[in-house]
Amino acid sequence: MRKVAIVGTGQTKCGRRDDVSYPELVREAVKEALNDAGLTVKDVEAFVTGSMPSPMSGVNAPHLYWADAIGAYQKPIIRVATCGSTGGSIAHCGYYHVASGLFDVVMVLGAEKMYEGDPQAVMTTIWDFRYEKPFLAGAPGVFAMQAMEYVHRYNFSIDEVAEATALLSVKHHLAALDNPYAHIKERITVEDVLRSRIIAYPIRLLDICPVSDGACAIIYASEEKARKITDTPVWVKGLGYCGDEQMFADKDLVWWLAAVEAARKAYKQAGIEKPAKQIDVAEVYNPFTYQELTFYECFSFCGKGEAVKLVKEGFFNKDGQLPTDPSGGVLCTNPIGATGLQRIAEAALQIMGKAGRRQIPRVETAFAHAMGGSYSLNSVLILGRTK
Amino acid sequence: MSRVAIVDVAQSKHGAPHTRNLTVRELVYSVVKELLEKVGLTTKDLETVVTSSSDFWQGMGCSNVFYFDAAGAYLKDSPKVEEDSALGFAYALMRVLSGHFDKAIVVSVTKCSETPTISDITSFNADPFYQRPVGIEEVTAAGLQAQQYTSRYGLNDELRAKVAVKNYGNAIRNPYAHRRMALTVDDVLNSGILAYPLRRLEVAHGSDGAVAVLLASEEKAKELTDTPVWVKGIGWSVDHYMLGDRDLLDAAALRTAAVKAYKMAGITHPRKQVDVAELCETSTLQELLWYEHLGFCGKGEAGKLIAEGVTELSGELPVNPSGGVLATNPYVARGLIRIAEAALQLKGEAGRRQVEGAEVALAHSTHGFAGTHHTVVILGR
Amino acid sequence: MVEEVKPRIVEYELKLPFRWSMGPVATRFFEEFKNKRIMGTRCPKCRRVLVPARMFCPRCFVDTTEWVEVSDKGTIRTFTIITFSFTGQVRKPPYIVGVIDLDGADVGFTHFIGGVDLSDLEKAAREIKPGMRVQAVWREDRKGEILDIDYFKPIKE
Repeated sequence: MRKVAIVGTGQTKCGRRDDVSYPELVREAVKEALNDAGLTVKDVEAFVTGSMPSPMSGVNAPHLYWADAIGAYQKPIIRVATCGSTGGSIAHCGYYHVASGLFDVVMVLGAEKMYEGDPQAVMTTIWDFRYEKPFLAGAPGVFAMQAMEYVHRYNFSIDEVAEATALLSVKHHLAALDNPYAHIKERITVEDVLRSRIIAYPIRLLDICPVSDGACAIIYASEEKARKITDTPVWVKGLGYCGDEQMFADKDLVWWLAAVEAARKAYKQAGIEKPAKQIDVAEVYNPFTYQELTFYECFSFCGKGEAVKLVKEGFFNKDGQLPTDPSGGVLCTNPIGATGLQRIAEAALQIMGKAGRRQIPRVETAFAHAMGGSYSLNSVLILGRTK
Repeated sequence: MSRVAIVDVAQSKHGAPHTRNLTVRELVYSVVKELLEKVGLTTKDLETVVTSSSDFWQGMGCSNVFYFDAAGAYLKDSPKVEEDSALGFAYALMRVLSGHFDKAIVVSVTKCSETPTISDITSFNADPFYQRPVGIEEVTAAGLQAQQYTSRYGLNDELRAKVAVKNYGNAIRNPYAHRRMALTVDDVLNSGILAYPLRRLEVAHGSDGAVAVLLASEEKAKELTDTPVWVKGIGWSVDHYMLGDRDLLDAAALRTAAVKAYKMAGITHPRKQVDVAELCETSTLQELLWYEHLGFCGKGEAGKLIAEGVTELSGELPVNPSGGVLATNPYVARGLIRIAEAALQLKGEAGRRQVEGAEVALAHSTHGFAGTHHTVVILGR
Repeated sequence: MVEEVKPRIVEYELKLPFRWSMGPVATRFFEEFKNKRIMGTRCPKCRRVLVPARMFCPRCFVDTTEWVEVSDKGTIRTFTIITFSFTGQVRKPPYIVGVIDLDGADVGFTHFIGGVDLSDLEKAAREIKPGMRVQAVWREDRKGEILDIDYFKPIKE
């Protein structure tokens, strides 16, 4: 099978980007990625783009809208969209472009302009119009129910778990201060988190991701081209994607099979049997702190019900056994269509040694994840420094 | 390119009341179920399903979440390619070519009866600042394009109308088609002007429908069917976004896509080497324009081609024996339906619309104003 | 070259009408629902009773044609209290949403939980527990829609 590497990444500053139109925003990320790889748009043979539902920005078929701005004129371009997991899905699609042998250099671009529409209003249309919409509309409610189920499953008290989630929130917000692209840059304490307003019980304001504008691009190359382009190619070692049932209440929200299976498939390809030992850094898709605990367990970073304890012990801290989200994660920056791709870009930067102040030392293997849907979709990508 | 084949296809009866009554979910389930039964597989045998739909065209954000498990994708790797199901096909092809999967299902669905009109929705394809305020949407853009062709080449309305007569007439032979009508040129020209010079019957209106195609690697395909249809070539490309930046009669993206597909398939004389073509004609004029850019004839000569009956079912190079998109337009699914129909031709399973002895078929899809994005697929026996 | 122009913002309202078919199964489900009957269908392969009734089992991918009535009583699997507002919201916050395991069903049923004093939110949140028994409170005037049940109220059992 053809080996594929990431040879460049680019991100925009995220936040409220009223200063640019949508095509201008995506162009920023593309230019940065080309710069990083030392390539021009002429070198790019195909494009994959993605974002959240196009009604969110009010322009349908946005890949056509962006095409000129990103240099795709007269080139192949495909739009892939899988809700919050889009960033992961477009990364997978770009990978398959090269792995298929049809292309050698492919650009992947994810973006979102959330301030140009009403994200929640669009998200209400995701749920089943016959049975679910009145209840599930409003994403935080969905994740809050997941949180309660987790608490109940392992017989925790809310306070026990809230302590751990507050620690996660503080950890991520601190990390974001070192990330030049991050949106929310605030110094907060555990008390700040525990006192912040309840949005959907038990989730509080500081447990939740922000609404952000931003774009991210990565460039893939085949083995032969990669070696000519860069001294630090980042190899794709394994991928996994998994989705489950449409109906929210059909599934186990705690031992979430879509997450478990996505990781398992990727681990199998990458030869990972002991994730906590073999993975040096994990960029987990973490818009909600409570859900993040569940992911650590579903990805076998630790055993079932153990995440709370390990978070409190610092297992996932920057200097811990398995650092998670040194970028600050989704909790601090969430331009949804780009977010999943940012996890991959950040994981790649870690391996390339280009992660600046958020660098984890000696990263050989990195884990990147994206999640989305009516609590239904998960994407995992494992990257490695060696082929 | 290593050998990948279409094993089999399934499509809904796009005009049937039954199709109209099912939800998008149930429609997807019915075509995937039918396809699996046809080839003797179950969902256990699947590892990947590529789906294709559009959130605007479904009124649901993240439209694939709504039908995810209906596509047989429970606990499977299933992405959604938006807007054009021919690109879903391209992606599924790449998945199999990579060697990671030995087969892939592609499925697409659109129920236009549940949505606002094509003009309503494609208004949102236009940017909010320059094109949308002046009412640019698909039908308007098609009108602009048609008028420009008429001016440049002096094409008369009757020749355009012949495309409609051909396609709606061919559709009568297609049990899956939606609009099946025996019309005269006058019927078409008297159907009322929609976007001058295009009449109502010259523009593809929406339909309900779903379609599923199974792709497999060479070894697997031969296990599953006696009539594999090989993917010989593929190309896709995009044009400028702003209408004013383009010469609407120079479908640059189609030429680029066709050149690529032909090169892969070793086709140097399309007019002679292609036995049947399924094109995506969202207006009558577009079918004529696509003839020229696919190399079936020279620039400005498409009128001659249709006048001489070359592209009739009985002609030298039948185009749209299925009735094409004029007859059946479940918007996002239409590209994959072209591919499915082309495959049926090569399998010899096209019933009364069969082109005898077809060995090489061309399937085409387009989306975006006046054909902004194009995909060309060459299939061979 | 740096432009010192601050881009203008254009305001717009997007309104598109849709008309979705419920499909034959949901149509029948809601006919029964109007009569205060909650119907599921049983999968012939995994034997799970799926509520609301389905055309097929999402896991086994086979038709589910055996219709089974389930109780309008059940157990809370999870819940949350919503305090924020958004476009198209059906209830004014704060309100409780939950997943209920109805007696006789093998999958959860998403709906409102009500009849609970929400003046002290954190107090209410500690009183409602997964595992609590609840029962549907039906509306008098039923139309054959999911809100024919007003909410599920906690009961003693």
